[in-house]
Amino acid sequence: MNDILHTLPQVLIDGLALGAIYAVVALGYTMVYGILELINFAHGEIFMTGAFVGTAVLLAAQGTGLAASLPPWLFYLLIMLIAMMFTGALGVGIERVAYRPLRKAPKLISLIAAFGVSFVLQDVVRFIAELRTGNYIVSSSSLYGERMSLPASSISSLFGDATVKTNTLIILGAALLLMVALDRFVNRSKWGVAMRAVAQDRETASLMSINVNKVIVLTFFIGSALGGATGVLFAQQYGTIDPYIGFILGMKAFTAAVLGGIGNIRGAMFGGFVIGILEMFASSNLGTLTGGSFGAEYKDVFAFSILIIVLIFKPEGLFGRAVKEKV
Amino acid sequence: MAILTVASLKKRFGGLVAVNGVDYSFPSGEISAVIGPNGAGKTTFFNLITGIYVPDGGRIELDGKSLVRVKPHVIAKLGIARTFQNIRLFGSMSVLENVMVGMHIHLKSGTPGTILGWGKVRHEEQEARRKAYRLLQYVGLERHFNEEASSLPYGAQRKLEVARALAVQPKVLLLDEPAAGMNPRETAELTALIRRMQRELELTIILIEHDMKLVMQLAEHILVLDHGEKIAEGGPAAIRNNPKVIEAYLGKNAVEEGVMA
Amino acid sequence: MEINSTRERLAGSKSLQAGLLAAFVVVTSGAVYLMDKSVLAFLLLLGSLLLLYYTGFSNGIKWASAGILLLLVIPFAASGGSSHEAYMEVAAQCGIYVAMALGLNIVVGFAGLLDMGFVAFFAVGAYTYGIFATAQANNFIPGSLFPLPGGSFWIFILLGGFMAGIFGILLGLPVLRVKGDYLAIVTLGFGEIIRIIFNNMEKPINITNGAMGLSSIQPPDLFGFKFTFPHQFYFIVIGILAVVIFAVRRLEHSRLGRSWKAVRENEIAAQSMGIPLIRTKLTAFAIGASFSGMMGVVFAAKQTFIDPTSFTLVESTTILVMVVLGGMGSVPGVILGASLVTILNLQVLTELTSALNALSNNGYIGIPTALSPSKMQRLIFGLILILFAIFRPNGLIRARNRKVSLESVAGSGVYPAPAGRAAIRK
Repeated sequence: MNDILHTLPQVLIDGLALGAIYAVVALGYTMVYGILELINFAHGEIFMTGAFVGTAVLLAAQGTGLAASLPPWLFYLLIMLIAMMFTGALGVGIERVAYRPLRKAPKLISLIAAFGVSFVLQDVVRFIAELRTGNYIVSSSSLYGERMSLPASSISSLFGDATVKTNTLIILGAALLLMVALDRFVNRSKWGVAMRAVAQDRETASLMSINVNKVIVLTFFIGSALGGATGVLFAQQYGTIDPYIGFILGMKAFTAAVLGGIGNIRGAMFGGFVIGILEMFASSNLGTLTGGSFGAEYKDVFAFSILIIVLIFKPEGLFGRAVKEKV
Repeated sequence: MAILTVASLKKRFGGLVAVNGVDYSFPSGEISAVIGPNGAGKTTFFNLITGIYVPDGGRIELDGKSLVRVKPHVIAKLGIARTFQNIRLFGSMSVLENVMVGMHIHLKSGTPGTILGWGKVRHEEQEARRKAYRLLQYVGLERHFNEEASSLPYGAQRKLEVARALAVQPKVLLLDEPAAGMNPRETAELTALIRRMQRELELTIILIEHDMKLVMQLAEHILVLDHGEKIAEGGPAAIRNNPKVIEAYLGKNAVEEGVMA
Repeated sequence: MEINSTRERLAGSKSLQAGLLAAFVVVTSGAVYLMDKSVLAFLLLLGSLLLLYYTGFSNGIKWASAGILLLLVIPFAASGGSSHEAYMEVAAQCGIYVAMALGLNIVVGFAGLLDMGFVAFFAVGAYTYGIFATAQANNFIPGSLFPLPGGSFWIFILLGGFMAGIFGILLGLPVLRVKGDYLAIVTLGFGEIIRIIFNNMEKPINITNGAMGLSSIQPPDLFGFKFTFPHQFYFIVIGILAVVIFAVRRLEHSRLGRSWKAVRENEIAAQSMGIPLIRTKLTAFAIGASFSGMMGVVFAAKQTFIDPTSFTLVESTTILVMVVLGGMGSVPGVILGASLVTILNLQVLTELTSALNALSNNGYIGIPTALSPSKMQRLIFGLILILFAIFRPNGLIRARNRKVSLESVAGSGVYPAPAGRAAIRK
């Protein structure tokens, strides 16, 4: 028990950082699902592509010395913007090529196509990474890797001190900024209203002279750009990336989206933080709690169990919207 | 004698009250109709009876047995079959197979018997095919028995839904806009078929229909819904002249002019 | 014009078809027998089964000829050269995957439920045999009863299928209640979870031996005859496969098969016809899983070694690709799809890779190893899934409804019998 309390500050900080990443990726799932009722399996891979694009730009710029001439914060921002543009366009392209022709097809068929897209992306990124660096696992240097100590023990002697990377603060700040911006956009702007209208009822929206295709393209762009930005934050935080990071992470982000009520943007943010903190808690304490029987290697099992439990007891999520099928 | 009774039946979707405190008893062995303007809650009413929606309040009883919170497939077993307003056939299966799905509850073959191919199972299948074909003859679709259901013309699809529902061998048959999209000839055939089913199969038939001519010809009892509430009930003659009904359909002015087909 | 008339003549004459097919089989099997290693000849020989499918013979003749081809011609032709075991290994793997794909086809093709972690059930089957046919089980069952003798293999085929079926139900129970598209992601997760669990279950009690895997699995034993070589396993695989195909064909056109398809086509209508949704879906899950589990047992016995790396997401996707490529819901299609993908995986890609390697070693062309075809599974499978979803959702061989003859249905009697309802209720 004391151990758990002792590590709690560190768990909370790491959990928040991870949760912020889940939350922003979850937004992409929830936005697309809200509009097309399609689980965009490729979203995890879009996140992964963002991580690779960001890292590639970083390594290239460091190679040419361009990086040194810019202040690091501006450079960081630039990398994120490039990755966002790239993944945003990628998302739009995927929608155009693989999803739009299937909009009227049975759900099963669109899901299969979406799954295919995610496999293709994994391999294409692997090719490129392997061609350029000889290895598909890529390490990147961290722009804000320095650590500082958070004296949690001064609050209560039960707590141990925690260390915080500067990048953790950047993740939290960036994630919050992105989420608030998206929330305002969806709730206040003209396009945001159109988006919600299409999510409610595509046919009626098109009768109200809303260009449904444009709204869908916009949704994919924004969702994918958010995913790409998170990829950059992730690469900066954890240092090592490979083409397969999107799979499990995407699944946890999807769990977050389901937990918050799929289609519900604020719910997805909340779900992301809950999953992130629970996962960190599980990974540092499962061993202690089960007397060493089950360790951190079960953290994915833990996240998955949450998905199952939510689906059984509260399939509409914590803040879900009522879905009814027209009979 | 009433076979199906609903009492203070209620269903809400968010803020919208789709069915609000409806009481009605459907007499056994006769044809009743549920009518009302668009959005009056008629289809929701059917969905409540067949267990697809769970009511927020009230009672539904078939022969005195409650149907509230009973699963749809159990309700079928208890003796209620239906057709759908927006046709819900098993599109890629053959016409004959569609009817055979309707016989599900009357067939007994389990998984082991099926895999081992016992003679009993084969015999049952053969009988089921014959019977399904006879049902198709009954609604006049026997020529199409090998075709894919989705390839049938619209009117024939509606008839196939009726044949499939008959295969359930129900006591009560619910028809949701059976004549929608049919041409006058098909509607006339359908009218005859409905009457024949009531007489020959001793069915209680409840239909939702917008075609007033068909309703007035067939229905002995009419329940009128508007905004989820019962606004009138009675025989065709009484309903035709009920000012509330005319108002619901045609607006207030029509009442003074006294028009209704 | 010319081609059309030839085609018509061919379609019309069964003896011509038989002659051509026989000639084809003789030539290809002769080539396989005489040449030391010719992948192409072997593929063409297998292709004769496809030709057989398209001939106009009655089903009985087709099955009999397929039996002769599979049990006599192919094993004999392959035995000619030094590649005997390599050929039979491919053929046995083909059979294993065909059975699994037919299992997944019940879930995806018939019942319309997207299961993306199907390999989990294969793993359950493999570990069921692996744990008890090695000394592993001594770790948690007192005494030293294990490994069980190879004779137990035959019982374990059923047991593996049964265990996989139980897991199918355990996974299905919570998940099948919710909306269909969640199922895809949950099964995807489940596939990974099973792998993680098998990978870590060496503590607190050592059940699976973790990442080390299980080795020296007992070979099957039939009255003292031990099965150790691929050409011997081939016959076991064909035997199980025959049972699986037989069962699938029976199920497809049964009360249960119809309810699966009805649930796939329209859940609400299916329920209103008296079909219990969850139970129907669970049966699909359980039966599909049990096919996979049975083949898992065979796989474990054939490899004599299993570890969690054989049961990854790529494996699950491979099986899904087989079903989508062949044609969801189409039994001949899925058999074709599974054979094609297995051969692509085991033969074409590896052959291409070694050919390219030889070329670049000789300095003709420089192919970076990143692009080696045997690593491109994900790309190839992904593209197949996308392209078939968009352009050919019914797959290579479209599922067809069984046509019944008019004589068989138009028996005597009209509906309803004269006595009215009382009569139709009997």
